[in-house]
Amino acid sequence: MELSESVQRGLQSLGDQTVLDRCSFPVVVDACFRSLLFSRGDPAVLDLPELKHLDKILLKQIHAAATTFILEAVKHNADKSTISFSLEELTFNTERVETFYTTRRKVSNSIFGPPFSFFFMSSSIGRGPAHIKDVSWRLQYQMKNGQLDKVNEPFYLISLSTETGGASEDVDFSCTAEQLQDLVGKLKDAAKSVEKASQV
Amino acid sequence: MLLVLTEEHREHLSMLPQVEPSVVGEFGRIALEFLRRGTSPKIYEGAARKLGVSVEAVQQGVEGLMFLLMESSKHTISEVDFMDSVLILGFGEELNQVLLQLYQDNQVQIRRILSQLIPSQPAFHQLEWRLDVQLASRSLRQRLVPTVTMRLMLSENEEGQRSTRVLQTDPSTLLHLISTLEAALAAVKTSHSRRILRNIK
Repeated sequence: MELSESVQRGLQSLGDQTVLDRCSFPVVVDACFRSLLFSRGDPAVLDLPELKHLDKILLKQIHAAATTFILEAVKHNADKSTISFSLEELTFNTERVETFYTTRRKVSNSIFGPPFSFFFMSSSIGRGPAHIKDVSWRLQYQMKNGQLDKVNEPFYLISLSTETGGASEDVDFSCTAEQLQDLVGKLKDAAKSVEKASQV
Repeated sequence: MLLVLTEEHREHLSMLPQVEPSVVGEFGRIALEFLRRGTSPKIYEGAARKLGVSVEAVQQGVEGLMFLLMESSKHTISEVDFMDSVLILGFGEELNQVLLQLYQDNQVQIRRILSQLIPSQPAFHQLEWRLDVQLASRSLRQRLVPTVTMRLMLSENEEGQRSTRVLQTDPSTLLHLISTLEAALAAVKTSHSRRILRNIK
């Protein structure tokens, strides 16, 4: 992991016992992990009574450095020894490295379990086409309309629930039974290809 | 079922016996052309000059014919019902035969034209897919995520205007989609659906 100078400086402050005492350190580390998973950019994430006595600007620098470090570790899928090594190089003592690690487990346990929650969070960053989540359908029978009598055709209304970057949208369309057969056939082809590819 | 022709409609059609049956056939051709592409007053003027009648009479004749063909096609009335319906107009046998021929030859096409006027939602046109594997992103390295990317083409209206959506899904959702849509296909084959389909005629 390559860390920029400012990140290194921030992490050094985090590890420095003269900056953060034994009581404040776990609170700051916990706030950093939480801010990534739950707060969604909430500016009040560092407004904690335990951290009132600390310099606001320094605290922000520490927070920025620690969150960058966490994201870098997730990005490269760093294991415990890599993380420990990096932190020890930045003057963390063994106790603080251990606290850093247990906090990560504690925070991520509360949703999906480690280390998936941070992984999910990182994989949701970035752009991509709308993702289909589900599909619902309705079978209808058109009998007549304003222009024609005796139409008598069954047809389907299909609604694909999709999601892009947290926003959901439905893609609705109608199709005849033949067209639906065609659609299902194509999806089956795709599923077969996925299965074949997974066996390679 | 019989067609009920209004007084005004009958009056408009009353100009048809004044011209040759072959001209009525030509009017029928023009009426169909107008149903497909919309009316054009220039054609009325040309025909009126040739036949030596007023533009208004030609217009009423052609439009009356259009309406007659549309109404009969709308209800898909039988040959006998069509003949009985036009009987009330008091035309000669030859002219009635010309009208019947026009109706029978063009019923399918007129129904197709009329079906385009119905408001409809986007309809499925085509689907293309490909299998992708995401290997890395800015925020994550060393990934191995299989994704099925699809291009769904929908026809927005009958004029062939298309819209395209690019969608993605993961393998397990894909299997879920397949099983849900297979249930949809099975629904039309159930005895309940078949009974309804058979009985509504």
